Amino acid sequence: MDKPSHLSVIVDLSPTQWAFCAQSTAPPGLPLQTFLSQLLAFLNAHIACKDENTLAVFGAFPGQSVMLYSSTGEAMTSTTEATDPNTYRPFKTLDSTVMSSIAERFNSYDVTEEEEPIGLVGCLTKALCYINRTISVVSASAQGTEGATRSIDPRILVLSVSPDQSSTYIPIMNSIFSAQKLKVTIDVCKVFGADNVFLQQAAHLTGGAYVQIERTDALLQYMMMSFLPPPAIRQLISVPTQDRVDFRAACFCHKRIVEIGFVCSVCLSIFCQPVPVCSTCRTKFPIKTLQRLNASRPLATTPSTPGTPRPLTQKNGAALPRPG
Amino acid sequence: MVGPSIRIKPAGESSKASTVDGGETSHRLIGFLLSQPQSTMNRLYQKPSSCLSIFRLLQPLERQVVMNLLWLETPIPGATMAAWVTREGKRPYQEALSTLQSLHILPQQSTRPGPPQPVKHNLNPTFKASLRQAITGGGTSGSFGILAENDDKHPAPDIEALDAFALERWETILYYMVSSGTGQFPAKPSQGVLYLLQRSGLMATVRGATLQITSAGFQFLLHPPHEQLWELLLQYLQMAEERQMDLVEVLSFLLMLSTTELGKSYSTENLSATQKAMLEDLRDYGLIRQRTATSRKFSPTRLATTLTSSSPPLPTSAGTGDGSHVQGFIVLETNYRLYAYTDNPLQIAVLNLFVTLKYRFPNLVVGQITRDSVKKALANGITADQIISYLITHAHPQMRKNKPLLPVTVQDQIRLWELERNRVKSQEGYLYTAFASHADYEWVLDYAKKLGVVLWENPSKRCFFGSVEGHMNIRGYIERRSAGNA
Repeated sequence: MDKPSHLSVIVDLSPTQWAFCAQSTAPPGLPLQTFLSQLLAFLNAHIACKDENTLAVFGAFPGQSVMLYSSTGEAMTSTTEATDPNTYRPFKTLDSTVMSSIAERFNSYDVTEEEEPIGLVGCLTKALCYINRTISVVSASAQGTEGATRSIDPRILVLSVSPDQSSTYIPIMNSIFSAQKLKVTIDVCKVFGADNVFLQQAAHLTGGAYVQIERTDALLQYMMMSFLPPPAIRQLISVPTQDRVDFRAACFCHKRIVEIGFVCSVCLSIFCQPVPVCSTCRTKFPIKTLQRLNASRPLATTPSTPGTPRPLTQKNGAALPRPG
Repeated sequence: MVGPSIRIKPAGESSKASTVDGGETSHRLIGFLLSQPQSTMNRLYQKPSSCLSIFRLLQPLERQVVMNLLWLETPIPGATMAAWVTREGKRPYQEALSTLQSLHILPQQSTRPGPPQPVKHNLNPTFKASLRQAITGGGTSGSFGILAENDDKHPAPDIEALDAFALERWETILYYMVSSGTGQFPAKPSQGVLYLLQRSGLMATVRGATLQITSAGFQFLLHPPHEQLWELLLQYLQMAEERQMDLVEVLSFLLMLSTTELGKSYSTENLSATQKAMLEDLRDYGLIRQRTATSRKFSPTRLATTLTSSSPPLPTSAGTGDGSHVQGFIVLETNYRLYAYTDNPLQIAVLNLFVTLKYRFPNLVVGQITRDSVKKALANGITADQIISYLITHAHPQMRKNKPLLPVTVQDQIRLWELERNRVKSQEGYLYTAFASHADYEWVLDYAKKLGVVLWENPSKRCFFGSVEGHMNIRGYIERRSAGNA
């Protein structure tokens, strides 16, 4: 039961969102420095739990995704700082590498351009690739006892402050499916901002925890109790789960979040309006079906608002059963 | 009444073979710490490095409970914490709480007279402050070891040299143990090590001077290196009191060593007198390396840095730290033949304990597991399970293709040879027979049953067998009855 666990942390570092977060008073916000110091304490706690625990930290900056730190040493900077007899050396290396990488990126960031959306999806895919690589290395060399259980429990933690980007629906869903195959748990911590539809689905589908922080001064305690336990312990001490998940999707043609849409019966791609040919699988749909569906569409398609999820109807008119 | 006689035990009742340790047993050091008083533990918790090392030795659930409570300022009601526990977690949670209380990490619940108070959980303040310091860094204790300055004349030893040193020291000790009775005279470890081996019951003096290995020593040889190391260290801790060494200082130095980094040298300035005295002993066990006996720097070896983790403490031939098992070298066939691809004299000597070796080549040793060899091992105190787990741990990678790993026939046969030793069990006692009448027999039998000393009875022949302890009582009872009847 005492297996080493691997944690990949993805930190959302969008400068405008963090500026909003620091200035907001109701709900009370959190400046970036405080957040980073609490995060470093959490990372140290993860390494403290077991000597073989591994860690990887990714930063989602505007337009790019960067690996800030990894236990296997890929992202090490070559600084040799003076060692401190009061600090455990791996903690000090971890803290200084993460902080110096973040500072370096922020210094090279040009304030005048318009900010691009953050590279959250890039971080997610990089984290999954890293986990896949380390797990295959470990299982190849551990010629273990009888029984073939994998020896490392991986999980991903996403710390997010930005709202949804609807153009990332397809990549995020693909990442969720590969996470399910690798048996990776995705946890999400929403520090600031509105609920994030796609990340809610990610946490729900992989069996992770989605937590919206209400008291930002207690961030460390939230993280310790909800995100520190490895999956084996989560069966003994429960972590918060969602009771209502927002299962809305984004359409494949315009990347808008839709509540009612049209689904191709061959490849299950989602569209916001009937199309004669499916863009993914090139299936041609009969004209008569198109005419019938166009006639039955609701006249005013309101922009989607957060609300209860509604069923999607299939192309041949039958309604799918309600989710959940 | 007749004198003592033998009672035959049915063959099914064998002595229980030693159970294989599951993953749930806590570390040996925790068992030792449970018996220490609160004042000792409080002094130990003043150093952040000790808190961190002890934290790593706890079970996962206990670690999570400690982390949950670490950053809280006020005590939290027990009911709130218990609300987080799922149904199947209730019993492990209670066990975790009781272990933490025995270690004085959670204060004990005082039993005061009056209405029972609601339970509140709060960490021991010393432990809380030290563990917080360990995680966030800071404080002034300097408990993680002061690095020595780089000296160009004597650079820090590289990792291969440290590994070779540790391996050589460790194997000297084990090889001395294995070959103690066989007439070979290998290199002797130092006096301190010999004394420790004798005190821990692994070796004993026979006929005066020479030390011979005992049955506990044989079992020790088949344990994995981590367990062997901790067994010796625990014995060292227990002897610390008599040598006038402060237990807390010894323990905190060991725990500080477990947080040091391989390949760096540390200075001995900050160590207390007790800890400086320990340096020599630690050199003998292969835990640290010093250039000379009076050098002011020391470097920890892999044995020291992996004290609180489960990475392999000794270098393996397949690289270090990758897999979790030593490279195997034993191939076992279904015809009981064993091929060991090794030239390490220690491994060959350990194999010699339960295998009849037939041929020896520069890189290969061939032998057979026979009834005589296994019986010899069993007579020395090794159990069948230990033999089987040793074979499994050191199995050659090619054996991994077999399911199960070892041939079932061989495993069963080793266990059957062990059961053969348990066919007959004898107990001393007295046989009561030649009763005048059935009623007499019943009276005495009832009396003996009330005392609980009956081992065997046969109503048709009117005799029963009682143990030695009850003999005087039964004799007195019979004399009283016959005196009363007469």
